[in-house]
Amino acid sequence: MTMAEDDMELDQLFAQARQNRPELPDDLAVRILTDAESVRLDRLAQAAQPPRPLWVRMLDGIGGWQGMSGLVAASAAGVWIGFSAPGFLPDPAAYIYAQDVTFVVADLGLDTTFLEDAE
Amino acid sequence: MEDLTSLPHEVRGVESATDELSDDALLRQFADGDAVAARLLTDRLGPRSFSVALRMLGNRAEAEDVTQEAMMRLWQMAPNWVSGQAKVSTWLYRVTLNLCVDMQRKKKPDRLADVPEPEDNEPSVAERLQDAARKDALQAALSQLPERQRQAVVLRHIEELPNPEIAGIMGVSTEAVESLTARGKRALTAILAGRQDELGYDNG
Repeated sequence: MTMAEDDMELDQLFAQARQNRPELPDDLAVRILTDAESVRLDRLAQAAQPPRPLWVRMLDGIGGWQGMSGLVAASAAGVWIGFSAPGFLPDPAAYIYAQDVTFVVADLGLDTTFLEDAE
Repeated sequence: MEDLTSLPHEVRGVESATDELSDDALLRQFADGDAVAARLLTDRLGPRSFSVALRMLGNRAEAEDVTQEAMMRLWQMAPNWVSGQAKVSTWLYRVTLNLCVDMQRKKKPDRLADVPEPEDNEPSVAERLQDAARKDALQAALSQLPERQRQAVVLRHIEELPNPEIAGIMGVSTEAVESLTARGKRALTAILAGRQDELGYDNG
């Protein structure tokens, strides 16, 4: 058989295949439509749920009621520590203030030296 | 509630106005809760997915599973579908082909384990092909093609899709599709003529 005849045979086979394309088996169509129906009903059920108010969704965002009570406890502890810090902790405000003072004094000293030199 | 699971003969009876809607519009209607749209989409797209899966896998039960899964993904993605970006059928062909690849990879190890030791009276490849030729010569030959060539040939010569659409489905350029179909056809011709030894199996 020549190459051209082989090609013709192949083209004939393609043509046959196109003519005999399989139909969708009935039981497969039923399976597909059953899936479609379950997806459709799920979606309708979700859409039918009443929209939840904003504050409920925000509460969910921070972990529900437990998250909320944790936040309240942490805030209360923060306020308490602000009022009366435990003795073993350094006082950050005083620390920063002291550093500032030192810096300013050192600056003044340099300035004075500079002025003396100029004179 | 409407019974969607009734036999598909009725599907073919659903007519007129909705029949002329695009796949795109039907998919949107389905996403909005329209059950009839699902029937029409199944009627239009189901056979295409099944035909390709059957040609790719050569096995009816596996092709049915692939088509059911591909259609399931269609139903699930319906609300996220962006109209006008691509054709629904292109999307479905791509999903179907990917599922076929998954299916073939999954079953390969089992197949190797199942292959019996060759015996002397085992029919030769040529004999087996002759035997298969009585049933479906094309399918037997297709199953010997490298995956990408088989995909391109099936989409071009059996599904009769234009090259640009095949390119979109396979995620390659139109030139690559032309090259794959040309090589695929050459290989098929050689296989059918019993000249497998001439084949350089390059999987591209």
